[in-house]
Amino acid sequence: MLEQFKKIKSSALSAIHLVKNLADLEVLENKLLGRKNGELTGLLKGLKDLSSEEKRIVGQAANDVKQAIESAWAEKKLELSRVEWVKSSEKESVDVTQSALPLSKCGHFHPITLVKNKLEDLFISMGFMVLDGPELESDYYNFTAVNIPANHPARDMQDTFYIKKHPNWLLRTQTSSVQVRAMQKYEAPMRAIVPGRCFRNESTDARHEHTLYQIEGVVIDHGINFSNMKAVLEEVVKNLYGAETKLRLRPKYYPFVEPGVNGEITCVLCAGKGCRVCKQSGWLEIFGAGLIHPNVLKEGGIDSKKYQGFAFGFGLDRLVMLKYGIDEIRVLKSGEMKFLEQF
Amino acid sequence: MLISFNWLSQYLQLPGGVTPEQVAEKLKLSTVEVEKVERLGANLEKIVIGKVLKMEKHPNADKLLVCEVDIGQEKLQVVCGGSNVREEMLVALAKIGAKVRWHGEEELVELKSVAIRGVESQGMICASTEIGLCKMFPLKEEKEILDLSGRRLKIGAPLADALNLDDAILEIDNKSLSHRPDLWGHYGIAREVGALFKTKLKGYSVGKFKKGNDFDLRVKVAESKLCPRYMAVGIDGVTVGESPSWLKQWLLAVGLRPINNIVDITNYVMLDLGQPMHAFDAANLSSRQIIVRLAKDKEEFVTLDGENCKLDSSMLVIADEKQAVALAGVMGGEASGVSINTKTIIFESANFDAVSIRQTSMKLGLRTESSARFEKGLDPSLCELALAKAVELVLEICPDAKVVSNVVDEARWHLNRGIIELSMEFLQKKLGVDIKQKEVEEILKNLGFGLKAKKNILNVTVPSWRSGKDIVMAEDLVEEIARIYGFFNIPSQLPIFPIAPPEENKLRNLERRTAETLVKELGYTEVYNYSFVSTEQVKNLGDDLSKYIELDNPLSKEKPFLRRHLLPNLLENIKKNLESYDELKIFEIGKVFAAGETGVRAETNSDELLPRQDTWLETVFVNKKDNTPFWQARRVAETIFKSLNLEWQIASLDKVCVWEHPTRLAILSHNGKVVGVIHELNPLTANAFGIESRIGVLKINLSKLAEVMKEKIDVYKKVSVYPEMTRDVAFLVKKEISHVEIIKTLSHADQLLKKVELFDVYAGDKLGIGKKSMAYHLVYNHPDRTLTTEEVNKAHDKAKVVLKSKFGAEVRE
Repeated sequence: MLEQFKKIKSSALSAIHLVKNLADLEVLENKLLGRKNGELTGLLKGLKDLSSEEKRIVGQAANDVKQAIESAWAEKKLELSRVEWVKSSEKESVDVTQSALPLSKCGHFHPITLVKNKLEDLFISMGFMVLDGPELESDYYNFTAVNIPANHPARDMQDTFYIKKHPNWLLRTQTSSVQVRAMQKYEAPMRAIVPGRCFRNESTDARHEHTLYQIEGVVIDHGINFSNMKAVLEEVVKNLYGAETKLRLRPKYYPFVEPGVNGEITCVLCAGKGCRVCKQSGWLEIFGAGLIHPNVLKEGGIDSKKYQGFAFGFGLDRLVMLKYGIDEIRVLKSGEMKFLEQF
Repeated sequence: MLISFNWLSQYLQLPGGVTPEQVAEKLKLSTVEVEKVERLGANLEKIVIGKVLKMEKHPNADKLLVCEVDIGQEKLQVVCGGSNVREEMLVALAKIGAKVRWHGEEELVELKSVAIRGVESQGMICASTEIGLCKMFPLKEEKEILDLSGRRLKIGAPLADALNLDDAILEIDNKSLSHRPDLWGHYGIAREVGALFKTKLKGYSVGKFKKGNDFDLRVKVAESKLCPRYMAVGIDGVTVGESPSWLKQWLLAVGLRPINNIVDITNYVMLDLGQPMHAFDAANLSSRQIIVRLAKDKEEFVTLDGENCKLDSSMLVIADEKQAVALAGVMGGEASGVSINTKTIIFESANFDAVSIRQTSMKLGLRTESSARFEKGLDPSLCELALAKAVELVLEICPDAKVVSNVVDEARWHLNRGIIELSMEFLQKKLGVDIKQKEVEEILKNLGFGLKAKKNILNVTVPSWRSGKDIVMAEDLVEEIARIYGFFNIPSQLPIFPIAPPEENKLRNLERRTAETLVKELGYTEVYNYSFVSTEQVKNLGDDLSKYIELDNPLSKEKPFLRRHLLPNLLENIKKNLESYDELKIFEIGKVFAAGETGVRAETNSDELLPRQDTWLETVFVNKKDNTPFWQARRVAETIFKSLNLEWQIASLDKVCVWEHPTRLAILSHNGKVVGVIHELNPLTANAFGIESRIGVLKINLSKLAEVMKEKIDVYKKVSVYPEMTRDVAFLVKKEISHVEIIKTLSHADQLLKKVELFDVYAGDKLGIGKKSMAYHLVYNHPDRTLTTEEVNKAHDKAKVVLKSKFGAEVRE
């Protein structure tokens, strides 16, 4: 019997060696190891008729033979699989540029939402609250509370929608209207932004809208100074437009701050060289800011001797237009699907 | 406002080599917005003074002329289309090779020798717009060429030399000056430039004049609050005529057309000092008494440019005993103006209340150089200086003129000029940078502030031209110092804050999460619509117009109302886009305005409440082939609540709005509070909006949901290791039986029944009217062992019995 095992081993190994494809290998596997008629299987079945002494010797040898055949078979199978895979993978090639059939329709965020969310996330990561306020606002919070008393020329700059039968109600012209509301509610110290919709009563054209979006920001704490304001806003513009972006501040008059500045960044399109978008200046104005006027802190019930603060405001529509190269502001509120589907 | 660099330079000793562009840059970084610097003589090479000798009609073109132009050394044949060209005219002639702007466009084009309609043209007779001189010589009509006749100009001389065009003009954005009344003239700007370049401003010198006593001039100021100061003086023996060329040159350089010497002098003084002036013809005044009073209601007044105005009793006028002769600070009157025959003039140099001037000029729609200055709040001290300067110029320009009256100075004014205390410590605290006290003092002195230093505390006196509203407290001084020191010189230093996380804004988070689900899971597109709706939209919707808040001054008369629903504008979106799409999925998140419902407080200490302004989500769905888009709307609600991990209930609703489909309508609740509605649009409403297809609508009041929302607490259930057995059941019931009731009943039918899942609903005529067929998967399971077929059959039979007894269902076997 020992002889028989030896023989089957050498014939099986040479047969496995000669097999050329997986199908033949399977046939061979059946022939040798098949449960019913396999040659080796049959031989192994004969072991049970041997005496225990013989079993010990022959059994050991039979096991070695079986393992040798199985491992040779496994090795051969791996080898042949690799060869066959190379062939079949070529047949399986697809056009990777082809889109899904049929094209699945996805939805779209409004571009203002995209930019607004990005700014919100940035400010939240810097510890700012996100606040909200009424769009139909009182004359008091929109103007008087932020140091724009009746007949102040600044009221001229912002043509205002007023409400019939309520002479002291209006549509807010700026998100600054939430400044004093927020101070009264949260007191100092405080850090918050207010994204929101504002209104100006002016005729629309490619660059002017009566409905616009702003993000207002307020920081109030002990010892907040101009240098802090500059640093925070530098962080913001670098985060939005890249680490290379430079910020410059220029004086600008806003009644609710003193000193007041506007913030300009190196033009995102020409990197400061001068182009059509920045009117050849190399700079783009993207926000207004300043140290909060003591009168505004006072209206908010905050002691300006103890606390100081700064405020800033970004025009979201402008940021969106710069980002996507949109040269017609009205398209943002057109409800035109062909436009919205691009975002 | 246009500022001439040469004009400024008279008042300063700028360091050598400082260019107009450098001055503009410094002003931009520290003071005002300079929009442009224009070099007047730029790009004028090969453009010379020419004289038109002859002109003939162009043989091939009606509107063109062929001119012979003398340019000194030669005579050129030039084709010209100018409407005002005539023989003997002095013109600006561009020779071949000169650079011109065709039709006034920005780009410069080199002139070439060409034949125009078959006639050779050896150059071009230029319009002011074609050579960048339109500010100096504004066009009166479109095809007009620049007429230089009447000037002593050498024929053939380069244009830039002949017109002394070595100046540069700084164009300043008036809006950036609204808070600085002191900067509305060259002298004020010069003072600012002086501070920026640390160079001393020259004193403003005016000669003294002797007052006369030929007549007694009287001024009665009835409204001293509105007119804190009124100065006037009479001058006789003036000859009204053309101004000397130096004066015309200054005015032209900054874009003002010369009129006559007297008017030009008042304009010059205004542009120089910022103080508007006026000259009356004394002969046209009925008396030697000038009255400053309020107009009578409906008093009529004709301005000097012939406009008829109806005044009201809030407007200040300058009057004689008979009538108003000028609108104070805004414009003179036709009847009292200076003309060629004027011999005696009365100069007015006055100060008026800013608010009153602004309101008058806005009400009448008359915005003038004068009103623009007064409405900023001018320094009353200026009146004196301006009057003296004007008198000096008249005496210089009209040799026979002399002062014949007393000098009136009706003055009731007081300026708050400080003293403001500024400590170096305060300055440091505000700016976050140490600036040397010496430097601070220098900055303030150069700007005209008076100083007394007590160690490191400065007692600052405000100059008259900055008092008023401009500089009233230490913070204002901080700004002055910071901007002149340079914002760019202040280092950046991030503030230090505690690391506590910010309070969460529940509503904003809810808005963002629902939008995320709509866009990414459900394929909806977000729109931003206006907050305004029209009468027609409200009518088409079938809503009650009286519930809408109306604008007092809408931009367009069409849309005067504030939206109560997002729906009307969403329907317009659908209408607009449905031409190019078969299916639309659109949503908007925004505030709506509810008249009659109250929201937040209107003022700090008042009980008045603003109207409620909740944020709503509204989605609309339309598919031209889908006649029951209710299901899509319901699916959206389901998906949103699932993604928010919130329980929700749906129930039918009896109260129906006109625009809602009465039998495809449900309310949405969370935690027992109604937070939204799902419905189909009433097809009649859709038709009113011009839409033929069915529309599914979902509305959720996000403000309310944010207030009441409570996330589900999901308790872990042990996964059964024993197999589940699924049996289906299909049955006929009456249409009124709701799915919710069936689920509720079935889930209590047997302990082994673990899940009930609807998989088919069918209603059709074959089934009989008022019936529907429903099919459910029922899933059975036992936590501790494998169920036998008999056990499942028993439980399933129990479920069928319950369906029959409770709902009268006909179960299909």
